[in-house]
Amino acid sequence: MDALQYWIQGFAVATLPMNLLYALIGCVLGTLIGVLPGLGPAAGTAILIPVTFSLDPIGGIIMLTAIYYGAMYGGTITSVLVNVPGEAASVITCLDGYQMAKQGRAGPALGIAAIGSFIGGTFATFALMVVSLPLATFALRFGPPEVFALLMVGLSLVTGLSGRSLLAALIMTGFGLLLSMIGMDPVRGAPRFTFGIPPLYDGIGFIPVVMGLFGIGEILLSMEAPIIEVIRTKLTDLMPAREEWRVSSGAICRGTVIGFFLGLIPGIGAIIPTFLAYVVEKKVSKHPEKFGAGVIEGVASPETANNAYANGAMIPLLTLGIPGSPTLAVLMGAFIIHGLTPGPFLFQERPDVVWGLIASMYLGNVILLVLNLPLVGLWAKLLEIRFQFLYPGILLFCILGAYSLNQSVFDVGVMIAFGVLGYIFRKIDWPLAPTVLALILGPMMERALRTSLEMSAGDLSILVTRPISAVLIIIAAIVLLTPGVRLLGKKAGKDEGG
Amino acid sequence: MKRAWQITCISFVALSVCTILLSFEYPYKDRLGPGPAFFPIWLGVITGALALALFFQTTRGKSVTDAATKLLPDRRGIWRIIVILFALLACLTLLQPLGFRISLFLFLLFLPPALGADNWRGALIFAIAGSFGIFHVFYHWLKVPLPIGIFGL
Repeated sequence: MDALQYWIQGFAVATLPMNLLYALIGCVLGTLIGVLPGLGPAAGTAILIPVTFSLDPIGGIIMLTAIYYGAMYGGTITSVLVNVPGEAASVITCLDGYQMAKQGRAGPALGIAAIGSFIGGTFATFALMVVSLPLATFALRFGPPEVFALLMVGLSLVTGLSGRSLLAALIMTGFGLLLSMIGMDPVRGAPRFTFGIPPLYDGIGFIPVVMGLFGIGEILLSMEAPIIEVIRTKLTDLMPAREEWRVSSGAICRGTVIGFFLGLIPGIGAIIPTFLAYVVEKKVSKHPEKFGAGVIEGVASPETANNAYANGAMIPLLTLGIPGSPTLAVLMGAFIIHGLTPGPFLFQERPDVVWGLIASMYLGNVILLVLNLPLVGLWAKLLEIRFQFLYPGILLFCILGAYSLNQSVFDVGVMIAFGVLGYIFRKIDWPLAPTVLALILGPMMERALRTSLEMSAGDLSILVTRPISAVLIIIAAIVLLTPGVRLLGKKAGKDEGG
Repeated sequence: MKRAWQITCISFVALSVCTILLSFEYPYKDRLGPGPAFFPIWLGVITGALALALFFQTTRGKSVTDAATKLLPDRRGIWRIIVILFALLACLTLLQPLGFRISLFLFLLFLPPALGADNWRGALIFAIAGSFGIFHVFYHWLKVPLPIGIFGL
């Protein structure tokens, strides 16, 4: 089958009435997650995995992916109206979005964000459609050394770009890898570090860890100062004025390009594209001094980049099986729960899932645009829910989500324990993303390394004598050792939850 | 902040040492190649060394440990955090014996007032909807298995 036939097959799958419904539900739930402060996309997506248990794999994955990119839309609403980003990637939107809201221009700010997100997301999905097949075909050449080197690149990017201290980020990566050692040895299949505790035979559940670190941890942190004040503004005129359209069009184009290309790099996270898009916009602007005081380009560019990134970041996940952020790691976990393994083989074994998912992302972007513009007022109303009810409600879904994965109270305990750890690590400013990605990639990494060493009779040089793995190892080293790359991570500020 | 970083580093050193010691229970290599202990031992060594390096760096004041954020919240913040953790642990303990509906009902009935909500009627409706309502949706409609306790609820 050639690419065109795959695309047609994908749209045939995505336009099935039930799959359209799942995409719609996913978009609504995703926007809700994005809107609610204290619930980032990683924890939000993890919590909602049980909702998809009774669905077929394609429907479940379509819904969860819609939740993922829907959350990217929703985060804008709180950034503009409350000055609190619903998810980390919307931090930069607060600068001008909130100022616009204070000036009574919340409507155009939210409108341009939705339109920019639609354009960025759609472009990135189109690129995903074009690029993914050749990339997946290329990735089929990878043997264990190349897989190990590729995972090294992914982890080094997450580590190198996380937080302020490289050492702290490396330790957190080591922590995640150590946690991944618990359970069955991925090569020999024998139990390891299980201490005779039956639930540990399956290892530390990745999803409860994410819910704990990003869900419970975030709520505990929010409890320190939970009062939120919503700007009361008329949200009737969502369409920007003609002049605002003019200045926004360039910003949307630039945001699309920046977001998409940075989405291709595993581990870069959602903050850096939005940050970079904002900085570029400020640089090219004729009036950079107005940035931060409520200019529409300051909203259009990062919001576009955010969604172009979110859709672009699906490329490394689908083609190489490497999640670029904690949220994508959750999505990868969801694939596995539904009996699917992201990576090049998925394109061969289940083209209906891959192409159906990609096609559904187009439709999802349209759904979000249609859903967001008229419903902005309704979403804004949600922000008025008092924290005394909001946070217990989120905790309820955390408990439900953690328990229902394996019908295990032990997993709820794991979630609470990691919630406390997540709170502590946030307080001392140690990054969480490396731990999460290391935890999910650890078994793959160990399997690839040990199989490589079996192939070479214990000779480590196999990692640098094969051209592809040598190049990848060099890239990983550059990422960790180059101050310029690390500076980008530092500038992006604190750890992200998506 | 400096003290917190030091304690965290020492904790990671301890974790690494424990990992290395426990790894000796498994074969380092076997007939086919590296054994189950291979990866954890090296990982323990590397993580421990990094934690030790950061400890010394922090002690010498070279790492980024500015106290930009206050480490401890105010008294009300601490109270709210304790309340949430208590409620979570109580729910964890009661989830299996009492079942989802009753344990979550108690959880949701207790938490909003404990966090400062003065609307008891609202809390009651919230607790019923969040426990019995959510159970119905997930257990019956979405076929998600949830615990049923000793009272058959």
